[in-house]
Amino acid sequence: MSAGATVTKGAAPAWAPPRTVVIPVLATLAALGVGVLLITATGTSVPDAIAGFWDGMVGSSFAIGASINRAVALALVGLGFILANRANLTNVGGEGQIAVGGIAATALALHGAAGLPRPLAVGVPLAAGAAAGALWGAVAGGLKVRRRTNEVISTLLLTFVGLLMVYWSVQSENLLRQPMTSAATLPESLELPAATKLPTVLRDPGSPLHIGAFIALAAALAVGLVLARSALGVRLRAVGLNELASRRAGIRDGRLVVLALTVAGALGGLAGAIMLQGELWILTSGFTSGYGFDGLVVGLLSRGSVVAVIAGALFFGFLRSGGLAMEITAGVPAAVVVLIQGLLVVTIAGTAILTDQGRPP
Amino acid sequence: MTGEQVAVFLASSLRLSMPMILAASGEMVSERAGVLNMSLEGMMLTATFAGALGSWATGRPGIGLLCGVAAALVVALVQAVLSVTLRANQLVVGIGFNILALGATTFLYREIFGPLSREVIPGFAKWEVPLVADVPILGPALFRHVGLVYVGFALVLALWAGLRYTAFGLAVDAVGEDPRAADRAGIPVALVRYVAVLIAGLMAGLAGVFISVGDINTFTEGMTNGQGYLALAAVIFGGWVGGRTVAACLLFGTATALQFQLPAMGIAIPTAGLMMLPYVLALLAVAGLVGHHDPPAALTLPYRRGA
Amino acid sequence: MSPSAGSVLLKLDGLTKRFGAVTALDDVSLSIDAGEVHCLLGENGAGKSTLCNVVFGVHAPDAGQMHLEGRPFRPTGPADSLSAGVAMVHQHFSLVPTMTVVENLMLGRLDGVLKRRDFAARVRELGATYGLEVDPDRRVAELSVGERQRVEIIKCLIRDPRLLVLDEPTAVLPPEEVAALLAMCRRVAAAGRGVILVTHKLAEIARVADRTTVLRAGKVVESVTMKVADMRALVRAMVGRELVSIDRMVAVSLGMEAAGHAGPPPRPARPAPANVRTRRDDALMVDGVSYRDHGGALRLDRVTLIVKPGEIVGIAGVEGNGQSELAAIIAGLVCPTGGRIFVGGRELTRRSPGEVTAAGAGIIPEDRHAIGCIEEMTVAENLFLGALGRFTRFGLLRRRAMGEAAAALMHEFDVRGSGPGAPMKSLSGGNQQRAVLARELSLDPLVFLLAAQPTRGLDVGAVDAVYGRIFAARENGAGVLLISSELDELLAASDRIIVLYRGRIVGELPAEAGNREAIGSLMSGHAA
Repeated sequence: MSAGATVTKGAAPAWAPPRTVVIPVLATLAALGVGVLLITATGTSVPDAIAGFWDGMVGSSFAIGASINRAVALALVGLGFILANRANLTNVGGEGQIAVGGIAATALALHGAAGLPRPLAVGVPLAAGAAAGALWGAVAGGLKVRRRTNEVISTLLLTFVGLLMVYWSVQSENLLRQPMTSAATLPESLELPAATKLPTVLRDPGSPLHIGAFIALAAALAVGLVLARSALGVRLRAVGLNELASRRAGIRDGRLVVLALTVAGALGGLAGAIMLQGELWILTSGFTSGYGFDGLVVGLLSRGSVVAVIAGALFFGFLRSGGLAMEITAGVPAAVVVLIQGLLVVTIAGTAILTDQGRPP
Repeated sequence: MTGEQVAVFLASSLRLSMPMILAASGEMVSERAGVLNMSLEGMMLTATFAGALGSWATGRPGIGLLCGVAAALVVALVQAVLSVTLRANQLVVGIGFNILALGATTFLYREIFGPLSREVIPGFAKWEVPLVADVPILGPALFRHVGLVYVGFALVLALWAGLRYTAFGLAVDAVGEDPRAADRAGIPVALVRYVAVLIAGLMAGLAGVFISVGDINTFTEGMTNGQGYLALAAVIFGGWVGGRTVAACLLFGTATALQFQLPAMGIAIPTAGLMMLPYVLALLAVAGLVGHHDPPAALTLPYRRGA
Repeated sequence: MSPSAGSVLLKLDGLTKRFGAVTALDDVSLSIDAGEVHCLLGENGAGKSTLCNVVFGVHAPDAGQMHLEGRPFRPTGPADSLSAGVAMVHQHFSLVPTMTVVENLMLGRLDGVLKRRDFAARVRELGATYGLEVDPDRRVAELSVGERQRVEIIKCLIRDPRLLVLDEPTAVLPPEEVAALLAMCRRVAAAGRGVILVTHKLAEIARVADRTTVLRAGKVVESVTMKVADMRALVRAMVGRELVSIDRMVAVSLGMEAAGHAGPPPRPARPAPANVRTRRDDALMVDGVSYRDHGGALRLDRVTLIVKPGEIVGIAGVEGNGQSELAAIIAGLVCPTGGRIFVGGRELTRRSPGEVTAAGAGIIPEDRHAIGCIEEMTVAENLFLGALGRFTRFGLLRRRAMGEAAAALMHEFDVRGSGPGAPMKSLSGGNQQRAVLARELSLDPLVFLLAAQPTRGLDVGAVDAVYGRIFAARENGAGVLLISSELDELLAASDRIIVLYRGRIVGELPAEAGNREAIGSLMSGHAA
């Protein structure tokens, strides 16, 4: 713009909270409101439903532990999402990364790792899960850099491949299916050896809370430091804002893109390994049950903030637990939680135009 | 393979391809106008459910068809508002719609049909095309399907002709390649994109209704099972060209049919591998390793005048 | 039924248009008569393009009225303006490159069936009438810049408009095509239509205008008929200060004086390069570089050139003849399909931009917004994006140290802004370019400088500063490759000029005013 053009300042009230906070909060409340309306519409008494919900979330040490364990997987996927998203990459492949992470962790836990000393027996399958997820992310990154393939499409297609690999793994005895003893033998893996299961945190035998929570916190700290305080964070942001200008400034943008998607994939794979070693213990088709997509939602809603990822993961973790409990006690389909999440993504993405500042053309 | 087996195999390939052919052909129009509907899966699932519901409630599959298409058009309209007017991220909004559609249809299905029901709903009758239905092999393979198959192919051909020979078709391509140039030529960019997205919604609606009312005669949770994503992959695989897109759908449908055919013929092949095949092929296609084509230059990019 | 010549065709009253905090048009009133060529003159950012876009309905004015042939005119969009009889050729072409000429011309309707053959016939007919020949069945992507502009103009004329708006149409044309375009403007006006011609070249105004309106900072500062126009007064109105204080490079960039006319060039006597810094090698050697784009078109064809330490070599050529590709290859952004690049004797073929910088090559890219800087990041981040390692300890960034270093560099290069933490986009274009210069010229040693369109879009004060820095780099012994589409600027600044045409070097001449015509002819593809 010309130097001589008149400049006027738009005055905003100083006390107003930023729109980037207000609008997501409003969207969340609106989505929850729709959920309550739907519950009402089913004819269930809302207090009953909410009581069931509440019990499922925080009614017992089991409920709390299970909710936090759920949040761990969501947080890891969400952290990976915001890391890659800093470089303007949209990793929607969390579900597939969880899937391959789960396969790798199961394979290692069943074949080899159980005989290792305790920390390794737990650590090796975790690392294998992370490595498998990393590979899944790296493929998307490589395709992006080498073949200019949109990472949304590639991570999504890789998700389906990963999910079908789980199906394949548990269908074939040559892979991970338990030995067929009768026609009724289920298509699933053997239970993981005890040595490879994640240790629980509390003495309380009723609480399933495992050390995955600490792993997620450590990952959050690391991602937070990288994004806020490191040169890598600045470089990721630069590549995300303007690839060409970053390249001209000497940043190796291709490497960064691959790195960002690889790390995001690794966090997804780690989430899969933690799910298997933490609570599921048996690989079954469909074990991912939407955690990858929920993690994506968490990442999306957080708008790049690590703290918001943790908060969102806990929110959705408790929501999922509550929804399941509500279905059992009050007979309201847990799908209402899925519906609320979908509504949230649509409203948040749809109102992004309101939270971005209007810029002159 | 006996002649009868060939006929059954061809018929099931066509039947399994049909939803993708319908959805992909509509989606191709939308993408050529620059709007990518990741929500195709959600549009189809919504239509699958609404179609089943309408047919079940009234006992008339025709009403089901209208309900399904109307529901998909509503989703498409909201998608258009979000991606054209509100300039939201098309990919993210689309995925949100898919989650929403899965949640909503599952919720409503459980509420309306009960938790474990596999209610059979009234479906379309098969139509034997006069004269050709009795031709050996080809007759049973191609000419004994529900009417929606033939109507669908007619619509697909009409879409191709529209893109090639009408002013609106030219406007669609212009809006998808260079919306600014189109705008300056006096084309209402937003209107063209709305219509294109609604065409995708209409076709996705037909595809969804075909699955529940035209083919399987019931509804199950998450019934579309990734076919919307496969249709998206087919558009990419087909290089945004009508004929190639339909060919890609037929390929994907045939791979699915093989899952059922090969075990029936005693050939042991991991079905998971065949199920994976369309996704792997699509991955190779988007990676440009199989026939690379340039997408419309403004695909997924919202347009704002003067920006 | 064209209106009688001399009647008021378009009348603007108090038009005001704001973009966010910036007022692009401030209470603009003027009128355009039927049958006249009305020139709009002004610096970059003065509001010329915005005014055209308001008339064409791209932007709605925030205040003020328009009347077209006496009736209120409030276009809601380009479609509205077109149907009211206003057509416009934009500064940046608005043709769909993947479509053919005739398809582009058919665009605009939503109903009906396409009649390709009828349209092709109309195109040939119009081409013959106005001297705008072009093959209707070729794809726009395959056309030259001049041909594309002809298509743009046919696209307007095919609608039989009453008012034709041309936004800087001559900026992209070689000199001889400029003459043809101006002649076409006169023919269109002679047919009773109104023509608005935007330019910042005084010479063109003298040749074609009936009236001239000068805009500065969004305001009308002068509106005169050409009978009484005084060129120096126009410049004063446009620039806002007396001519004497205007640098020679600035005057050249306005097309006010042909290069070399204003007495002896103000270059200080240069010591022999060898005395500045002993170097065995050339600053830049481009050895037989070729480049084919993704579509397979040959964009550069065995280009060989040498820039010695302490000299400025200008690259002349109409835009789109390979200059951008050459710049991108030297900058390391694009790999050549053949040939080699050396800077200061070090081979940099297929090396990354980081390695190019490390070899002592400063790069001022032609597109400041797309490549030069990242507008959403701070000035400090932009200055040190490639050198973040200098401010990193234990993997963490020391932002304070970076800010201090940035403040020092901003001071040295006179980058004005609210500080190193200010977002780059809060800076004016000139200050952004100074920041780019600060980053690229602070290399030590600076062996070579590539300056591609370094003054594009800058206001007068900044043009001055940019060339001051480039000349200083030369005095310090760097070799400079200057790419510009402004021939006069090249003639004034360079030591010798190389002409690119369709990706090939078609000639090399000393940068003397007497060679202006020969160079212009080479640029249009005629052998010298």
